[in-house]
Amino acid sequence: MDSNKKYWKGLEELQQTPAFVEKSKGEFAESIPVEEVLNEAGLSTKTPRRDFLKALGFGVGAVTLAACNRTPLHKSIPYLIKPEEVTPGIPNFYASSFNGQSVLVRTREGRPILLEANPAAQGLNCGTDAGTQAAVLDLYDQAKLQGPKFHGTDTSWDELDTQVVTALGSAAAAGKQIRIIASTVNSPSTIAAVARFTEKYPTTRLIEVDAVSYSGITKANQQSFGKAVVPQYRFDRADVIVSVAADFLGTWVSGEEHTQQYISNRDYKSLKKGRMSRHIQFEGGMSLTGSNADVRVAIKPSEEGPLLIALYNAITGGSLPGGLSSNSKAQTALKLVAQELRQAQGRAVVVSGANDIAIQTLTNAINVALGSYGGTIDLDNPSYLLKGDEEAFSAFLAEANRGDVDVAFFLNSNPLYYHPDAAAVKAALDKIKFKLSFADREDETASELDAIAPNHNFLESWGDAHPRGGYYTIVQPTINPVYNTRQAEQSLLIWAGDTTDYYTFVKTNWEQNILAGSSKTWKDVLQTGFEYKGDAPAGTYTFDTSGLAGVAAAITKQSQALAKDVEVQLYQSIALRDGRQANNAFLLELPDPISKVTWDNYAALNPKFAESLGLGENSVVEVEGENGYKVILPVLMQPGQAMGTVSIAIGYGRTKVGKAGNNVGQNAYPFAKIVNGTLQFNTTAKLNKASGSYELAQTQTHHTIEGRNIIRETTFAKYKEDPSHNTGRWSDSHKTYDLWDKYEEPGHKWVMAIDLNACTGCGSCIVACSVENNVPVVGRDEVRRRREMHWLRIDRYYTIEQEGESYTEEDEIGRLEDLENVSVVHQPMLCQHCDHAPCETVCPVLATVHSSEGLNHMAYNRCFGTRYCANNCPYKVRRFNWFNYWNDSRFDNYLNNEFTQLVLNPDVVSRTRGVMEKCSMCIQRIQAGKLQAKIEQRPLKDGDIKLACSAACSANAIIFGDANDPNSEVSKALRNERVYYVLEELNVQPGVGYMTKVRNTFEA
Amino acid sequence: MRNISLFFGRFAKPVSVALGLLFAVSTLQAQDAKEGETLFKANCSTCHKVFGKFLGPELAGVSERHDEAWLLKWIHNAPAMIASGDAAAVALDAQFPNAAMTAFPQLSEDNIKNILAYVKAEEGKKAAGGDAAGGAAGAGGAAAASGDASNFMIIGLVAVIALAFGVILVLNKVIRTLERVLVNSKPIIPDLTEKAPGKDYMATLKRMAKNKKLVFFTVLLLAVFLGSAGWKTLWNVGVHEGYQPVQPIKFSHQLHAGVNQIDCAYCHGGAYKSKNASIPSANVCMNCHTAITASEKYDGELSPEIAKIYRALDYNPETMEYGPNKRPIEWVRIHNLPDFAYFNHSQHVVVAGVECETCHGPINTMEEVYQYSPLTMKWCIDCHQRTEVNADNAYYEQLIAAHEQLKKGEKVTAAMLGGLECGKCHY
Repeated sequence: MDSNKKYWKGLEELQQTPAFVEKSKGEFAESIPVEEVLNEAGLSTKTPRRDFLKALGFGVGAVTLAACNRTPLHKSIPYLIKPEEVTPGIPNFYASSFNGQSVLVRTREGRPILLEANPAAQGLNCGTDAGTQAAVLDLYDQAKLQGPKFHGTDTSWDELDTQVVTALGSAAAAGKQIRIIASTVNSPSTIAAVARFTEKYPTTRLIEVDAVSYSGITKANQQSFGKAVVPQYRFDRADVIVSVAADFLGTWVSGEEHTQQYISNRDYKSLKKGRMSRHIQFEGGMSLTGSNADVRVAIKPSEEGPLLIALYNAITGGSLPGGLSSNSKAQTALKLVAQELRQAQGRAVVVSGANDIAIQTLTNAINVALGSYGGTIDLDNPSYLLKGDEEAFSAFLAEANRGDVDVAFFLNSNPLYYHPDAAAVKAALDKIKFKLSFADREDETASELDAIAPNHNFLESWGDAHPRGGYYTIVQPTINPVYNTRQAEQSLLIWAGDTTDYYTFVKTNWEQNILAGSSKTWKDVLQTGFEYKGDAPAGTYTFDTSGLAGVAAAITKQSQALAKDVEVQLYQSIALRDGRQANNAFLLELPDPISKVTWDNYAALNPKFAESLGLGENSVVEVEGENGYKVILPVLMQPGQAMGTVSIAIGYGRTKVGKAGNNVGQNAYPFAKIVNGTLQFNTTAKLNKASGSYELAQTQTHHTIEGRNIIRETTFAKYKEDPSHNTGRWSDSHKTYDLWDKYEEPGHKWVMAIDLNACTGCGSCIVACSVENNVPVVGRDEVRRRREMHWLRIDRYYTIEQEGESYTEEDEIGRLEDLENVSVVHQPMLCQHCDHAPCETVCPVLATVHSSEGLNHMAYNRCFGTRYCANNCPYKVRRFNWFNYWNDSRFDNYLNNEFTQLVLNPDVVSRTRGVMEKCSMCIQRIQAGKLQAKIEQRPLKDGDIKLACSAACSANAIIFGDANDPNSEVSKALRNERVYYVLEELNVQPGVGYMTKVRNTFEA
Repeated sequence: MRNISLFFGRFAKPVSVALGLLFAVSTLQAQDAKEGETLFKANCSTCHKVFGKFLGPELAGVSERHDEAWLLKWIHNAPAMIASGDAAAVALDAQFPNAAMTAFPQLSEDNIKNILAYVKAEEGKKAAGGDAAGGAAGAGGAAAASGDASNFMIIGLVAVIALAFGVILVLNKVIRTLERVLVNSKPIIPDLTEKAPGKDYMATLKRMAKNKKLVFFTVLLLAVFLGSAGWKTLWNVGVHEGYQPVQPIKFSHQLHAGVNQIDCAYCHGGAYKSKNASIPSANVCMNCHTAITASEKYDGELSPEIAKIYRALDYNPETMEYGPNKRPIEWVRIHNLPDFAYFNHSQHVVVAGVECETCHGPINTMEEVYQYSPLTMKWCIDCHQRTEVNADNAYYEQLIAAHEQLKKGEKVTAAMLGGLECGKCHY
């Protein structure tokens, strides 16, 4: 049976706007006026045919003359003394870590070119998010400082050291305070270095404060259980997951770790065993997690607290006042959810995203009632990724204002950008005698301070991390420091009069503390990249419910304060997060998983709500916060957004981060507020329509597949009855006819299986693909012209959930009133490597041809840019190079300089203007894997070759391998009943199989 | 008379035996030193010099410092001796903490004695050279003898020149006589040259230009010639067969790979592991050229080409250390593949077993390297179509269909396994 559900990529498609209909006809946004030039009327146009021919003739002549030069002389400069471990042309891998994620750094001739998840750390904190994948570009950032600075002028380290030591000395002599303000420090060695510094200057204190705070959880746990930590959540142990506005698969605490756990109960292997968890999400803005939920209910931020109160009452039979009274849909869902949760005692978890002590305390109460502690929530092996405490920072500001602080250092900390009240911070800082930043660039804070002692990039540093209980990772350098920078910890040691070099310091610290009593040596750790000491046993936790009435009262009060006409929810975007990597062009161009917007933040509004405010597509709106802060933001019509709410991403609007990231979007941090000592992202605002219009660079309806049945979706109940439900396999019921002979693939046949149930849409694969394959960044204007170059995109489809109605026709969907209840499917789309590829047939120069291994090859040097192939591709995955993006001053924010070009993968050519390109299935990796097997004279094993996208995928949603090997993982996956091929009815015989999306919905 | 013969007879035997023995002994000693020299260069010269400290101690006087039995044992297996705690061995080892004496179990006692003999002989030579006064007399005699020889040569040369002068004089006389004969008989031979004016050439040309067939053929020939020349030129644009740029160091493959028979992999090991064959780093050169200075060809001075390596590394031969002012050697790349073509050496050298010379030509005869192969795509493809796959490689077992054919004894070329597909080289 064919699906009767209709999917749409954006409101333009849903409403069939004239612009959409016009654009959907062509593969390219602007067609080339060939016919106009060539017909008779063309003679009277601005560029008549004769002029054209003249230009052509002159052009050919000029080019010929220009080409008549001597063959350029190529120098070949070998190493003078070759390091033993380097063989030119062969990559070296080093274990390191980024944000606590254990990674392998791939280096070529001594320069890092790619980060990949460390496979040995499987099940720990493996996986790489988009930020980690893109982090390698940060090393080659031109905006980085080339040496230390003092009062805005370049200085030497010796001079800077003298200045700092003098300042420290006078502070110590006067008995004044010294403060180190840092974002969460979980590195044992950094802590030890700070301790060494404190020995010398006893008035020193380390103040940890993060741009995005989780102190609400920490403090709630302190109050409830006496443990001031962010616990480790174990979604793999949960059968029922309820999230109230926590984007736990994306940006909340540790998204990649959660994704792995979450998917382990939902992917094809789990489904095969008949297991699937149920996930219910209540939230205002459409988050990545919400888009993956089985049931998603839109609620306002002010309803979060009442909802949790009602949930608590329903589960425990309690009668806390202030339960949810509005939002009938949420109330209905709540009853079902409470029932589910009670049944899943011990195998359920409730998480809440609000950084509020009262709400988190209530969440703790619910989880205790559900028996989650020791099972789905682990307080004994907590997460140390986010320990920031804004109360400590506020105390520091008060100290500074009193004039007690003489010296302040800023480590990975940029409060003048992210603090809600930057002016107050600035005023306090002005009272400090000597302020220094370890920032690698003159950012918003560093540029206002006395001195900058630029820190190494993590790829140049020694270090370690302690991301969670029992688990330690190391950071090891993979390149010599590019500029005259010095590691911050080294600076602290030097200023403390300790001349130990930091490498020895880290090594000693590990040998004496972390590795003490272990059989492992420092060298073992350098090889594996981490040390896992095992989990501490779970303790028992009791919860005193007597205080809950007070908690409920606090929640009600807060919720009443929030319940205004327009409620604001600030959130971290998947790409830029807190804005630290805001100068990273890969991240700026990564489309948001939901809105598909690049290069901007925006005010996300429900279309119906926007309509009521007189706003529409491309409108701009002035948002005025509670504190009077005003910004003008473009409006994004976001289906699924709760009515009466607006979501704005933080991390944008930086002014001093570098060429690419400066003035991209608007800074939303000032909307945040500190309530009861915690930083809150739920607030209220006034919206006023602003004049003018602004077109967001969205990839939303680019490459639209015109409402054809390409998404297959079913429910878990139906799946259990019939695993192949709704796969709509064409070949089962139709006889097919081929225009072409069958291709023989005698050796390997490279194919891919994509599990739609595992893909969360996080976009890590897109960045990984861009880094591996030298995919250029094109910038905002070119994205608007539908010229983004991503070889792999993730299509996001909306569909309507409204009971009792079937939507088989587009116009029926168009009449829908409720745009709060939409569900989302993510579908990675890349070259399908069709056996009977339509693109190959139309290429006049045979630039794209089929291989005997089932791949669709693209010979760039043969292509001369007719773009016929792109027009003929049913999957719209071919990309045309309109410019030499790596060598064109118009694309200055990315590769247009020799330094940044060092990030290019030397095994893949960078394509020139006028050439078509597309996914090659990382053919360089396939070739390298085969060669390795040949050299070792052994057959190729399954798993020898990993593609960039599948290696980057924490959820294992992309499975690659050899279909001719019946025991390969991909062969097994493709034999799954859920497999279908997109547009199979065209009989192009794609090499990429998709598995149906299964939703574990409530059965009515 | 008989007495005399008896007398000679009595002496002849012992004298001839003595002479024979003397001869035998002297030749034996000579052989010793000669064989020793070869062995020394092959085994010892990496670390030792006869005169002066190198990585190991100076060898001159070694026989005085240690007795022969000890030396035999030491050279044969030094690590064992150190391990056994031999006092002299341990002391010697301690003197050179950065260099351990290697064991040479392959050297027989005779071999070692030969090496020692060579060292002794070298000592002797130096003593002879160093003893300036003693040497001068002998040298003077030799010089006198050679002076005689050269005087004789000069006299000979003067005689030859005088003879040649005489011949020239005679010939000149003959020529003058013959000229006189010609002048006397002038009226007999008429002068034709005066009758042919330049105007007639033009007339001939005009006549020829009127001949349509001739013009047609000339034009045709010209067209064919220019066409084919043009075609050939255009066809070879970007093909640099025979390209032989001037390199910063006059490195001779003919000497290294040809005469000295150094294996390609010693310097270009990358070819066996990586896509790049890689130009050896300067420290690889220094493996040999710390010791080999080619000074015998440059009057005891360091070869100017080797000096370039020293300069690049800022190497100080006295301290044997690299300095801080290193400057890379900028070789000129000879084999330039276009950027869009991916070529991997190890695929061809290790997997396919292609010899270096197949593509790089007779490298061991090249004084300066030039591009031997055209490096065009046609050249690649021709080889892929010709070359059979190495069926012994277990990798190919996996390629089922190909394997079936292999079993039938059919030819499986690289091309049949997809070696002609675009994406195999262009990505």
